Amino acid sequence: MIAFLVTILTLVAIAAILALALNLQWGLCGMVNFGLVGFFALGAYAAALLSLAGAGPALALLGAMVITAACGAAVAALSHRLAEEYLAIVTLGFGEVVRLTLLNESWLTGGALGLPGIPSPTLRLPGPGGEHVGFLVLCLIALALAYLVVERLARAPFGRLMRAVRDDDVVAATLGKDVVRVRIAAFAIGCALLALGGALHAWHFGYIDPSQFTPIVTAYAFMAVIAGGRGSNPGILVGAGVVMLLIEGSRFLKDVVDFVAADQLAALRLILIGAGLILFLIYRPQGLGREYRRSAASFPTVPAPASS
Amino acid sequence: MTGRKYTLTRRHLLHRGTAAATLALAAPWVRPAHAAEPIRIGIVIPFTGASGVYGSEMEQAARLVARRINEAGGLLGGRSLELIIEDSESQPTSGVVATRKLLEVNRVEAIIGYWGSPIAMASKQLLIDAGKVMMVSCAANAVTEDPHDGLIWRFQAKSTQWGPVGARIMLNKGERRVAVLAQQNPFVISMVEPFRAEIERQGGEVIREVIYNPDQPSYRAEVEEIFGTDPDGVFIPGLLTDFTSIVKEYYRAGFDTPITSLSIAADANGKFIENVGAELAEGIHHFQPAPPLDSPNYKRFVREMGAPEDTIFLFAGNAYDQLSVAALAIEKAGTTEARQWTRVIPAVSNPPGTRVLDPVEALELVRRGEEIDFIGAGSDCDFNDIGDQLNRHFLHRVIRDGRNEKVQVIA
Repeated sequence: MIAFLVTILTLVAIAAILALALNLQWGLCGMVNFGLVGFFALGAYAAALLSLAGAGPALALLGAMVITAACGAAVAALSHRLAEEYLAIVTLGFGEVVRLTLLNESWLTGGALGLPGIPSPTLRLPGPGGEHVGFLVLCLIALALAYLVVERLARAPFGRLMRAVRDDDVVAATLGKDVVRVRIAAFAIGCALLALGGALHAWHFGYIDPSQFTPIVTAYAFMAVIAGGRGSNPGILVGAGVVMLLIEGSRFLKDVVDFVAADQLAALRLILIGAGLILFLIYRPQGLGREYRRSAASFPTVPAPASS
Repeated sequence: MTGRKYTLTRRHLLHRGTAAATLALAAPWVRPAHAAEPIRIGIVIPFTGASGVYGSEMEQAARLVARRINEAGGLLGGRSLELIIEDSESQPTSGVVATRKLLEVNRVEAIIGYWGSPIAMASKQLLIDAGKVMMVSCAANAVTEDPHDGLIWRFQAKSTQWGPVGARIMLNKGERRVAVLAQQNPFVISMVEPFRAEIERQGGEVIREVIYNPDQPSYRAEVEEIFGTDPDGVFIPGLLTDFTSIVKEYYRAGFDTPITSLSIAADANGKFIENVGAELAEGIHHFQPAPPLDSPNYKRFVREMGAPEDTIFLFAGNAYDQLSVAALAIEKAGTTEARQWTRVIPAVSNPPGTRVLDPVEALELVRRGEEIDFIGAGSDCDFNDIGDQLNRHFLHRVIRDGRNEKVQVIA
């Protein structure tokens, strides 16, 4: 049981990193990324190929993050004139391009056969299943670092800038802010985090193939951000946990319910996950957390405008 | 008033929800302990997703074997077989999580099922690391290619064996200039080269080969490209959903070149004819590794499954055989230690020995210390050194008037 909890927690950590990345792009900067799975896959393949080529974990991770961030920056730059829903279409298209490239460029990606035997960084802790616990620790460290980065960004002047661009980019531009630069930077940083998640996924599974990177990954990330509260990083952590526990925890349903056939139960399980999310959105549409706001009282007092 | 009532309902809902969630999480600990520890076998099969149609027949077949063995007194002097079944959702990532759960929470001795090569590929290292037995129903060669300590057993013909069969069917129909329209997927791709080799060996020619991506919204371009070359016949190995769209495009464009495909695409337990109707499906040839349909064992199996006499189960027989072979090997080895009983699998399933069809009778013979050669419901259950199945029969059928008609069994 403990060993399986370790597996679930590893998946939660990876899902939380993806959700934090999406929160930076969409929650804070208003850039809808429907091609999230494409960047995730790019990161996973880049890290896997570099690991298989003999690069150390740090180098593989760095390479994956740089490559994915560069692609993200390119996508954001190409679409900088596009409003929210058009960017969504561009990213959706990018996700498809990545999937089809991975599937068909067999000389590099192994095509449909995928890439087996990816060496993963080991942190062998004592005790049975120590390497799994060790990998979980690595994932949690990665998650903590990702959290610190996005939380720091959200509270920095850059975070204010991102929220300003999200809420009204014309106003931000009028105030002399470089809206395009902010968007490209936010999107690229988000993509680097997606690559971090992708690298952890590739190392965790040890085998990747295009069928693992379906749009459902994007949907789960959006679910986590919506459940966690758009804009709130602590909320996102809880949101990702809730979504993954709902999905994986419901596997235990059949261990208690024996009177329903397995095929009906499988369908029922997916219905329950959907119903759970709908109930959640009905009763807590704003999500679990609140966006970081610095209250006016904490600013140094400024003279009140003269009343007329 | 209504407002207050509403709040109460929500609270109830939350309370019950929390209680249910707690119960679900606590479940593994609150189960009652059994007198004699059962032998746990896990099953990972698809109930949802693209291949979801095959899960329930495999479940039913495995439960049948477990019930019969348990009614006859179980294994190793009275320990019963317990099955724990997980949905692979036709997805490798879900298959891996299901495998992990079976290994780490349920502590199973073996995991059987595994429909779909990507799922088996993603899960196999977990079983090898845990030293447990894996029995798969999928075809990609790569599953058994790398060393696996003798832990992986394939209850299916491997992909490279499918290609030449398709080639022979088409050559027999007099099709010599042929084209291939194949899905980009590990199992289909590895059957294309052997197909070409067999066609060329017999003096034919593959004039065009197009690989398409799964889940495309349309296949018009591919259909035009392949049928436009005017071949004698087209081989389309694919899966149900894409094959359905391809046949619709082909009909719409007015082509009439004969099509040969796989039964998982052109039959899928009757789903294909249901999807496109009898007129479009007319004259499509399809084949698949099949159980020995005329054997008394298969006939009895169909009766036990409670299905009409002429039912062709493509995968249920595999699940039946997997659990039977696992049970026989455990009994013969006298232990549930997977690394030990996996070594005696050839001893109970390959010749020489008394040919025996029924798992319960076979168990009797094993207990008496006799040499046996188990013949399953899905196949003869003979294996080579790396766990690949030998001597699979292929069933070649054609669709006439909305029904599948048997053409021949190819050995």
